[in-house]
Amino acid sequence: MTIEAVDRSARGLRAQRSSEAVGLGGALRRLDWVLLGGLVATAGYGLWAIDGITMHDAGGSSMTRQALYVFAGGLLFLGTLFIDPGTYRRLWRPIYFGTLGLMVFVLAAGAVARGSRRWVDVGFFKFQPSEFGKVLFVLALAGFLAERSRSINSVRATLAAIGYGLVPILLVFVQPDIGTALVYTSALGAVLLIAGVRWWHLGALATATVISALAVLWLLPAAGVNVLKPYQAARLTGFTHPANDPRGSTYNLRQSITAVGAGGLRGRGVLGATQTRLNYLPEHSTDFAFASLAEERGFFGASILLLLYLLIVWRALKIVTSARDMYAAIVAGGIAFMFMFQVFVNAAMTMGIAPITGIPLPFVSVGGSSMITNFLAIGILQAIYLRRPGRRRG
Amino acid sequence: MASTTRPGRFLPGDPRVAEPYRLTPQLAFRVALLAFLALAVFAMLFLRLWALQVLSGDKYLAVANDNRVRTLRLEAPRGPVLDRNGNVLVGIVPGWRVELWPADLPKTWPAQRTELQALSGLTGVSLKDILALLNRHAGDPLTPIVVQRGLRQDQIFYLKEHNAQFPGVRLANSYLRKYPYQSLGAQILGYVGQITAEEYKTMKKRGYQPTDSIGQAGIEATYDTYLRGKDGKAQLTVDSRGVPKGAVTPLVGATPGQALRLTIDIGLQRAAERALSYGIQLAHNGGYTYADGGAIVAMDPRDGAILAMASSPTYQPSIFTGHKDPKKLAPLLDLKAADAANHPGINRAIDAAYPPGSTFKPVTALAAMQEHLITPTQQLLCSPSYTAYKQVFNNWTNLINQWIDLPTALAMSCDTYFYELGKRFYLLPADRGHPLQGWANRFGLGQKTLIDVSPEVSGLIPTPEWRRNFYSKSKGYGIVDRTWKPGYSIQMSIGQGQILTTPLQMTRLYAMIANGGNLVTPHIADDVEIAGVKGQPIRVLRRFGAQPPQPTNVDPTALSYVQRGLEEATHSSIGTGAGVFGNFPVDIAGKTGSAEKLVQLPGFPHPSNQTQSWWCGYGPYNQPTIVVCALIENGGHGGTSAAPAALKVFQQYFGKNGQGQITNHLSD
Repeated sequence: MTIEAVDRSARGLRAQRSSEAVGLGGALRRLDWVLLGGLVATAGYGLWAIDGITMHDAGGSSMTRQALYVFAGGLLFLGTLFIDPGTYRRLWRPIYFGTLGLMVFVLAAGAVARGSRRWVDVGFFKFQPSEFGKVLFVLALAGFLAERSRSINSVRATLAAIGYGLVPILLVFVQPDIGTALVYTSALGAVLLIAGVRWWHLGALATATVISALAVLWLLPAAGVNVLKPYQAARLTGFTHPANDPRGSTYNLRQSITAVGAGGLRGRGVLGATQTRLNYLPEHSTDFAFASLAEERGFFGASILLLLYLLIVWRALKIVTSARDMYAAIVAGGIAFMFMFQVFVNAAMTMGIAPITGIPLPFVSVGGSSMITNFLAIGILQAIYLRRPGRRRG
Repeated sequence: MASTTRPGRFLPGDPRVAEPYRLTPQLAFRVALLAFLALAVFAMLFLRLWALQVLSGDKYLAVANDNRVRTLRLEAPRGPVLDRNGNVLVGIVPGWRVELWPADLPKTWPAQRTELQALSGLTGVSLKDILALLNRHAGDPLTPIVVQRGLRQDQIFYLKEHNAQFPGVRLANSYLRKYPYQSLGAQILGYVGQITAEEYKTMKKRGYQPTDSIGQAGIEATYDTYLRGKDGKAQLTVDSRGVPKGAVTPLVGATPGQALRLTIDIGLQRAAERALSYGIQLAHNGGYTYADGGAIVAMDPRDGAILAMASSPTYQPSIFTGHKDPKKLAPLLDLKAADAANHPGINRAIDAAYPPGSTFKPVTALAAMQEHLITPTQQLLCSPSYTAYKQVFNNWTNLINQWIDLPTALAMSCDTYFYELGKRFYLLPADRGHPLQGWANRFGLGQKTLIDVSPEVSGLIPTPEWRRNFYSKSKGYGIVDRTWKPGYSIQMSIGQGQILTTPLQMTRLYAMIANGGNLVTPHIADDVEIAGVKGQPIRVLRRFGAQPPQPTNVDPTALSYVQRGLEEATHSSIGTGAGVFGNFPVDIAGKTGSAEKLVQLPGFPHPSNQTQSWWCGYGPYNQPTIVVCALIENGGHGGTSAAPAALKVFQQYFGKNGQGQITNHLSD
């Protein structure tokens, strides 16, 4: 990884080879203040939300811990501003293989929790490489695609990009972490789209994805090959028939929908939200945080969060169009779409319109890796925006 | 830091990018596509959120509340059963019940099984039974299942201490049936048990719950609606693992069941049950070694109030409460075990029928007088045997050869006298019908007495029509089997052949003789009442009382000759019961019976003829207040075992010297 710490002597701000540094004064003026405002508001709102969500949990409120992650994320965010995105482009191979190495390491030596090997225990912090990997994945793939930008129309380039993408996706899939693998896949699609891959390539990729999903969920089990564990398949398909088997795999879903619905327009408050407080809603501080928020704060409270997300997505897409070069555009597009995808899958699953997967809700779900990664992602967007072409000030 | 920057060098051309990068229309289109997708996705989220929270919010709020609120049942204490003097025959004792709340059990099967196994080990209820219960209530996870009632103190302590290991298991207050007089009156009292699936199907309209306990036999079943009371309700908030949060909030208190007062006198009941054992012992002493059961009924002949109803062998109703031992229950529930134990669960007074033998002779006598086949003073020959239709019918004794009238025939129980009457009935022209059977029916035989405990059998008064239908061609019987032969009428005149009566039917018959010709309806329950608390008087809520006796329109003169015959039977030197009742200070009238019955004795390859010992009678002769019928299965002659057993009941009723009298609060 090439993320550098903020250097007091501001060494990173100097011109390094061909990349250009940015002056702090100019940088401040050139920042996307709307996006920054959105980031601060979302992180703040997330802290307030998680305080209510976790208030009655066994360990007490997780807000303090989350605030620590926000602080760490903020520092990382600031540091990211000083790194020219071109650096990532040049270093895409080390980034890519470093990420792969981490993922292999997790599989070999990671900590097992809830049947899945996702974490590396580094003492004070359980570090989840697949979360950081989301951003690194986009940075690396974008680097490859920018390199091949001239031959981007060729089938070969597309296949190569897919090949590069599939390796980490599979590594995440076998942890097993189907949700995160889906996020990676969405990012892969987005970077291909922005890189300008031909439509029919994209169409073929989408078709292949659908077919492989069908194969994993239906065709192969019918033929006797079970790729997924039964509980995984049940979770993924359970949302299509929530009334079945209320004690089994759809229990979480029913409790989640009940929690969301019970919230009503104004919410039941922290004390009144019995689904959360009495633990009927499982994993309410992580996977089902949205349902818990919706129960406690109601339609208004959940809408505010969704609007904040929409704001971030809008600014991110805007940054795609104002990017300095193809690489930056691809990175911004990948991050924007991946962010949107995460928000959608997480919120939609709590309301029964998407499969149940273990994806954290950005800036809300308890978890350091996710929080810090999101700050990192927004930081990269800002770094791209800082270096946009156009009127120069100062 | 600003001083170290060089703003002028921001964003130079990248030498490695040959053409300057610009936003192509193609890329703009693709970004717009993403923007459109984002809008669509967020619109979808908002719509779904709106649909769930605003449009269906109330519905889900109700679901969420159902989730956390458990409605508890506060069990109503079952009403006590009292004897006529207020002695508690069936009471209650507070205890605990173990409930399973399916909704609060662990969500995964292995954890659930571990817990249920532990529960099974603790309560002694097999895992199979618990799972069967769970399956029965699979559609209703919010109604608790009662696994066990009446735990021991150590079991309760263990459950309370380890309740964290038993999510979904809850201890609740309960009441257990208590039987202060142990086995006394077991068959009439019945017992209480969990409602069965079939019972629930038919009873749910009446407000019964699938987890209710109901009376399963005897008066517990008949008067369940009065005894059960009304359960109360309380609420409790629980978390997702079923752990209670906060205290139990009562909503509706439980209404205790009402007390049921019986017409039974517990002292007389005890005497009757002891008399049965005494009678069986006498039979054994007399050489009738297969005497193994019987019944005694004592009834007020004026209104049909049952004073005692004993059946032997018997059982302890308490085996149905609390921890159930399958070994102890087997004789009552399993046919094979019941055979071995001679069916202790059967109430032989009403649920078993026997040939009445000579105790039937008053019916023959009355019917013959009513049909003018004989006058009470007309004399017939009493001889060692009687020949008709080339068949010889023996008298029970061959030491006699004299002409006798009707009362004497009853007193000495002369069979040949009644054989002649039986032949006269047989010779009646067809248009006269079958008056012997007709009068027997009119006196309540061959039909249920409609006493308020069940099950009851009707017995059988065979007629030529019955025989034709019963031995039908379709069952493979021939014309000879279907024909009513003269011998059947002759045998029936002395209560033999296929005729069957229950001890209670015979009691009712003798009550009719005692009270001057009225048929009473036997009953055990007197009223339901609320027990007087602290000096308050008893409040009677509903009196069942006696049904008005039905007149049989039997000729009073004819009846008086039968009464005289019965009195002579217990007092004249030729009377069959004189040896037993002759010296009793109270004037008792009654009739012995010794009925041959084919009995399949345990351990024998074929049925054999065994003598059923009967005695039925009443006293005091002039103003009868009690009628007693005793039957000892395989007990030999009436005078051997049944009559002495019946005397024991009279001794208890009148006192040994005849001075005592049963207190009777019902006679007001």
